[in-house]
Amino acid sequence: MSQAIVRLLVSRLLQAGLVAWAVGTLTFLLTRALPGDMAYRIAAGRYGYENVDRDAAQAVASELNLDSHPLSAYAHWLGDLLQGKLGHSLVSGEPVWQELGHQLGHSLDLALTAVVLALLIGPPLGMLAGLRRGKALDKASLVAATGLRSLPPFVIGLLLIMLFSVTLGWLPAAGHGTAAHLWLPALSLALGLAAVSARVSRNAMARVASAPFYAFAMTKGLSPQRTFWRHGLRNVGVPVVAYLGVQLIYLIEGVVVVESLFAWPGIGHALVHALVARDVPMVQGTALAMGLLFVALNTLVDLACLAIDPRRRPA
Amino acid sequence: MTTFTLTPRWLARRPNARYMGLVLLVLLLLFAWLTPWLFPADPARQNLLHTLATPSLSEPLGTDHLGRSQLARLASAIRLSIGLALLSVLSAAIPGVLLGVAAGWRGDWLDRGLGLVADCVLAMPGLLLVFMLAAMAPGQFWSLYVGIALVLWVEYFRVVRAATRSLVTSPQLQASRLLGFGKVYLFRRHLWPELAPSVLTLAAFGAANAVLAVAALGFVSIGLRPPTAELGLMMTELLPYYQEAPWVLLQPIAAVFLLVLSFQLLAGRDPR
Amino acid sequence: MFHSRWLRQVTVMACLGLTAPALAHDDSLDIVAPWEINSPNPSRAGHVFLRMQVAETLTDTDRKGRLSPGLATDWQVSEDQLTWRFAIRQGVQFHDGTELTAALAADALQRAASRPGMLDQVPIAAIEGRGNDVVIVLDSPYALLPALLAHSSTQILAPASFGADGQALQVIGTGPYAVTSLQTPQRLAVTRFDAYWGEPAAIEHASYLAAPRGETRALMAQSGDADIVYTLDPASRLRLERTANVVLFAEPIPRTVAIKVNAAHPALAEREARQALSQAIDRRGIATGILRTPDAAANQLFPPALTAWHQPGLAEQRHDLEAARETLAALGWQRNAQGMLERDGQPFALTLTTFADRPELPIVATVLQDQWRQLGIDVSVNVGNASEIPAGHHDGSLDLGLMARNFGLVPDPLATLREDFGPQGGDWGAMNWSDPQLTELLETLSQTSLPPEQRQTHIAEAATLLSQAMPVIPVAWYVQTAAVTQQVEGFSIDPLERSYRLSDLRWSDT
Repeated sequence: MSQAIVRLLVSRLLQAGLVAWAVGTLTFLLTRALPGDMAYRIAAGRYGYENVDRDAAQAVASELNLDSHPLSAYAHWLGDLLQGKLGHSLVSGEPVWQELGHQLGHSLDLALTAVVLALLIGPPLGMLAGLRRGKALDKASLVAATGLRSLPPFVIGLLLIMLFSVTLGWLPAAGHGTAAHLWLPALSLALGLAAVSARVSRNAMARVASAPFYAFAMTKGLSPQRTFWRHGLRNVGVPVVAYLGVQLIYLIEGVVVVESLFAWPGIGHALVHALVARDVPMVQGTALAMGLLFVALNTLVDLACLAIDPRRRPA
Repeated sequence: MTTFTLTPRWLARRPNARYMGLVLLVLLLLFAWLTPWLFPADPARQNLLHTLATPSLSEPLGTDHLGRSQLARLASAIRLSIGLALLSVLSAAIPGVLLGVAAGWRGDWLDRGLGLVADCVLAMPGLLLVFMLAAMAPGQFWSLYVGIALVLWVEYFRVVRAATRSLVTSPQLQASRLLGFGKVYLFRRHLWPELAPSVLTLAAFGAANAVLAVAALGFVSIGLRPPTAELGLMMTELLPYYQEAPWVLLQPIAAVFLLVLSFQLLAGRDPR
Repeated sequence: MFHSRWLRQVTVMACLGLTAPALAHDDSLDIVAPWEINSPNPSRAGHVFLRMQVAETLTDTDRKGRLSPGLATDWQVSEDQLTWRFAIRQGVQFHDGTELTAALAADALQRAASRPGMLDQVPIAAIEGRGNDVVIVLDSPYALLPALLAHSSTQILAPASFGADGQALQVIGTGPYAVTSLQTPQRLAVTRFDAYWGEPAAIEHASYLAAPRGETRALMAQSGDADIVYTLDPASRLRLERTANVVLFAEPIPRTVAIKVNAAHPALAEREARQALSQAIDRRGIATGILRTPDAAANQLFPPALTAWHQPGLAEQRHDLEAARETLAALGWQRNAQGMLERDGQPFALTLTTFADRPELPIVATVLQDQWRQLGIDVSVNVGNASEIPAGHHDGSLDLGLMARNFGLVPDPLATLREDFGPQGGDWGAMNWSDPQLTELLETLSQTSLPPEQRQTHIAEAATLLSQAMPVIPVAWYVQTAAVTQQVEGFSIDPLERSYRLSDLRWSDT
């Protein structure tokens, strides 16, 4: 393994630690800030509302050190987190780990489909526009990209539902289970992503196409297709992949809201649900999972950049 | 001073789109702040006998599902969004720029310490942070504001720090320094003119993001509480009526779109 | 240009992929409702398994809501009203093939009695299986027992459903449908159980999906993604009425939208204050403008569907802001400079807690907020999770809670009333309020079988007491709604919300 990769992994690992600490601290503050008695709340989650009495609440309070000094309660809280004790959901009573397992899979399905769709839509259009700078397609794609980026993913989702499931009746509006359910939520995310990757690849293609080496490749006798495959694609690929890293934020944030619009049983839906229900253990679990997922995906993008762009590799 | 000429350099670079953004924003501002003067109506006052009314002379934008004046609500919601966006952008930009300059200039432990804090914020998707802070004090304006500002300052900090690092070693600044000018002068004379374009671009993007974040919070009902008029919340509330009264639902959607568009055009680069 | 052909092909392919036909009808009947399946435990989510006809109870209800035989064919009580015998139906099989016996049924009931649930209020001394009978011995008479054994928490599951710690791990019942997969909290799939003791179901596969957002549910009905969708918001109802292929059903049910009041709150302790709040509510406006069912305006807690408890003579609850203002002024509340009420320097400020699982509740809460604001009361609306109301009840932090209380949980509303208005109040009933006279009336009614006229006077007395003291302020009566695809025949809504009546349904031939 090269040094660059090691340095990258170490810094990302550090970041993962920071995420865990920040999520733990925020959820700890959340438990303190919520109105009502925390011990009652947790006891109700464990034993059901009908079964909560002063004794049950007291037992919870002493077990979780809720009555102790805030600092020692905080240390206890982070200690639990460090050992991976995420507790049970206050709403379903199931272990948080178990729920996360299901949800993470659904969210990854959605996010990956969205990225693939975006890559199928954005870069081809962008490259086409880049080769025909100033023409109608270029201008139209600029307007479309600017427009799409001014619409939050949930609004795109709303418009898609109205078009595809209500007016045309082609695709189901919500739910999950079959592949057909994946289209609309994935497309809601993909359109915004595609807007950016179309512009990025358009600019890169325009730059590459006007670069001397590109013209030289053609003069030396390569066919236009071979020139594009050998010199165009790779040079456009680097900024597109690098921009995926920047867009990860858009993707993850979009997942949260789009999932709740489409009742997609992923981690974002669960987070919003947990926040509304003030289900603190689930908030902690889902936020932690999303934060770590973000770090992990960022790492993958970094590695991909290293792989396709030899200039970033140290000699 | 180059920064305060009539046509600032950052605006001159891509004039058409930026002017369009500026004009759009000014129009939205006028709409939001003039409406209460020209058309005084309480955005929370209901009239259950007059729900989902079509636009008329007395109600130019119609009424919502509780018979509240859509015009008053829309104006109030845009005021809220712009106000919150500008407030959080300002309170993120000032410490962000100052800390960035300090870190880039001083380097050393200050740089490393602040860098760690920035990494910490950047390690998480910003909306997640905003959601969690908003959940801490549901329905409170300040929790949204703190959350958004907390996410936004990092961008300024990182950009300014990187720029400052290279500017500090520039011969012009070294020369001024040797002549004994104070730090404030050095900042105004040498640093700010170089930093201003990126800071203003960041500010416009930041404002767009703030508008989107508030709308997203409202949409999933974590943000402000009823009867506050907020664009995302209005969409959620009006969604069930989209077939009965599409013109009402389209109003907050159009407002979010125009707001974000105006800020993004103002930023003057391809969207990110 | 040269390579644009390739690019165009890719683009076209990407677009074509989107138009792939998606909505081929499968053979599963898909039901969508707002309620999540929290757990396989009967005490926590038993209602879902009862409604999906996976599990059954000893007693059941007929089409008119009267008690009828379920897994017990017959029941009797001893002379002293202390020993009940339930004859267990013979030849009933659980979904895993185990035979239902009186001993197994007694075990299941014991398990239910040891957990929180309706059986808590029964003074049970012993439950045992004797021969073909389940025998329940009481410490004191309790006439409601057969009605209580229709409650979802008393459903009879096979022993294999439970783990070593007594927690349910799966749901093995006796109903016409057996669980094929359960993904808490969202999805449940069932298949027809061919060895069912009664009339077998016509439709082979069915599924239940929990979708808490009202718009999502309505869209699923509209797009044909779901076959039956329960609990529609008023706006979607109107829209679905105009949708082809979907039939809309509505049925008044014994459920009331009401405000739970913390009677220990300094501003709400006086009965007059609660009445003033009630007078300031424009019920007609809410029923017409929001619920779009003018008859839904509630002048009392008990809807007409509860014939025994509904008081037909009662006048409409008038919307009278002036009277409400005067009442509050008499209690010492003064308007301050901002026009808001104050007493001894304390503002009249309350938090109204509600939840979004029932789509109309947040809207009604916003309406109440505006109507009370006209009175000078500063109300903030807190839309959270349904569990916040019981939690607030227990930790004392609740001011007002807007809810939709079901009086049909048990075929006799008395059992629910005892839960709600006992000396300690109830999660979904009175808070820090009780009345010894009411307690006694409810006790007498539930313990002994009184002669009909005497029972009726007791009931009238209790109902009057409740509507005067207003520990809970009624707002509107509930109408259950469902959107059903035309491909399904034989649909009806169970007003007691015990069953989705799946086994009645058939696919239509067209």
